[in-house]
Amino acid sequence: MAIITKVCDEAAGIKTFTLEFKEPEIQKSFDYRPGQFVELTVFGVGEAPISITSSPVNKGYLELTVAAVGKVTRALHLRKEKDVAGLRGPYGNGFPFDEVKGKNILFVGGGIGAAPLRSLINQMFAYRDNFAKISILYGAREPGLLCFIDDLEGWGKTENSEVLLTVDAPDAKWRGNVGVVGSLLPKIDIDIKNTVAFICGPPIMIHFVLLDLLKMGFEEEQIITTMERRMECGVGKCGHCNIGKSYVCLDGPVFSYHQLRELGEDI
Amino acid sequence: MKILSKSNLVPFLEGLGLEFKVNAPLYEGQDVLFGDLDSSKLATDFIGKPRLSPKEYSFPQRERLFTFKNNGGVEIEAHLNETKRVIWGIRPCDLYGLKFLDMVYLSDYVDPYYQARRSNTILLGLNCNKAEESCFCSSIGTGPFAREAFDLLFTDLGDVFLVEIGSKAGKKLIEKQANLFTNATSKDEKQAGILEEKSKKTFKTYIDLGKVEAKIAGASSSPVWAEEAAKCILCGGCNWVCPTCYCFNIEDVTSGDKTQRVRYWDSCQLGGFTQMAAMNSRATQAERLRQRIYHKFSYNPDKYGGEIGCTGCGRCIDVCPAGINIAYILRRVAN
Repeated sequence: MAIITKVCDEAAGIKTFTLEFKEPEIQKSFDYRPGQFVELTVFGVGEAPISITSSPVNKGYLELTVAAVGKVTRALHLRKEKDVAGLRGPYGNGFPFDEVKGKNILFVGGGIGAAPLRSLINQMFAYRDNFAKISILYGAREPGLLCFIDDLEGWGKTENSEVLLTVDAPDAKWRGNVGVVGSLLPKIDIDIKNTVAFICGPPIMIHFVLLDLLKMGFEEEQIITTMERRMECGVGKCGHCNIGKSYVCLDGPVFSYHQLRELGEDI
Repeated sequence: MKILSKSNLVPFLEGLGLEFKVNAPLYEGQDVLFGDLDSSKLATDFIGKPRLSPKEYSFPQRERLFTFKNNGGVEIEAHLNETKRVIWGIRPCDLYGLKFLDMVYLSDYVDPYYQARRSNTILLGLNCNKAEESCFCSSIGTGPFAREAFDLLFTDLGDVFLVEIGSKAGKKLIEKQANLFTNATSKDEKQAGILEEKSKKTFKTYIDLGKVEAKIAGASSSPVWAEEAAKCILCGGCNWVCPTCYCFNIEDVTSGDKTQRVRYWDSCQLGGFTQMAAMNSRATQAERLRQRIYHKFSYNPDKYGGEIGCTGCGRCIDVCPAGINIAYILRRVAN
């Protein structure tokens, strides 16, 4: 059981909820890795899997950034501060962290797909010296759908780090790049051999960014992405997220492109 | 091994009824179905399998997991079913089905609801002396005579049942009503062996499992998926009758300030199975049919030490109104 301690309008139709467990001992022992998710219950409505957008370095609370797109998420958007929600988890494998220390990191995110990436980016910036250049490419359909504006500004100001933004459909005030997020890739200058790319966003974006990265010379193992599948149980039983012998809720949602190709299902 | 005369079967089962809930195959109109013991309807000489497996007793079609109050208070009440149960007359295919479900629900993360039911249930098997048209357990290796996964195993020798003891729990059931049983002789056991060989000759449906296992990984783009899927009318029947299908949905059902979290069987053949808010990850029926077959013959064996997610019972063949036949599909895959 958790209390909603803060509700923040993140972008159009997207809110960030800050939650704290009701029981202090659970809050204290609740640990997670970026890329993991929780099953969130809106009481009286139902349960849905939501990726964690806060970072484990931020102790004492949990942030979930949620677009109102289904039954549970729409109901969650009507919840206010001090309301109660149910949480179980964390589930899933999470992003690699220690394994990619010393490397250049390239993040490519689209829309609310940036939610799990934010968790990892903030953890990396907490240990910034452990990583070489960090490039963050982020896009949304329109300026009003860009999430984490304050974070993006802070990351962009950090040494040896860059943030490039783009939108598909600009408004009158937009001065930045126009086009899909892949159109930002030619603008970055990194040594690809020593780079790991993390991609997260809608399936169509992931599909095209994967092709772009392979063309740039990335190896399949250097590309990390997340799979979105219907999930019910979170513990590898209910069968919905099964792909090959893997269950996305147990063996994912984070996979390298190489692993995805071995799973065999179209992505 | 023990011998129980057929006239002593009902007294034995009714004796068990003093301590346990007893379920057994019953004649219900044209069908044989598992139900609460009713000696006037008890089916002992039916051919093949009951229309449905006894899966329901350990993994019900719809199960209330817990109830909670929505007033913000932490009031959660779990509903574990610990009914002491004996099921008699389980065919070897269905014994394997339960063994398979045990593997799924009692390994890695142990499912407390399944465990509560299963750990209180004793399984009494009944070997098959004759196959039905759709039976192909002999090809899968799960029947027609069982080798494992039973507490007691009955073989119909004509006037008597030969009873093999498979566990301490099974042995205890016999000891409690020892006066009903006599010791079997080597002649009885030999007769059972002859019946098994005779039974194996009654099968009409075959697949070559070795070939299926060798070829299935390379069959993902076979035309068989689209061809067979084109016949599907989306009833989900193949999943509902399957003794190994274990996929479920979770739903919160709210009434007033109380919500019940229930789970119920789900069907991978229906589009909603993979529907998310913004997309469906398995959009065509061909992909869904391939998933059902691959899950049983490739993914499950990969995950669970080679154990196949098919018992060879053939119920999905019997139930399909469109004539989609798993044995035909597997023969196509093998070739």
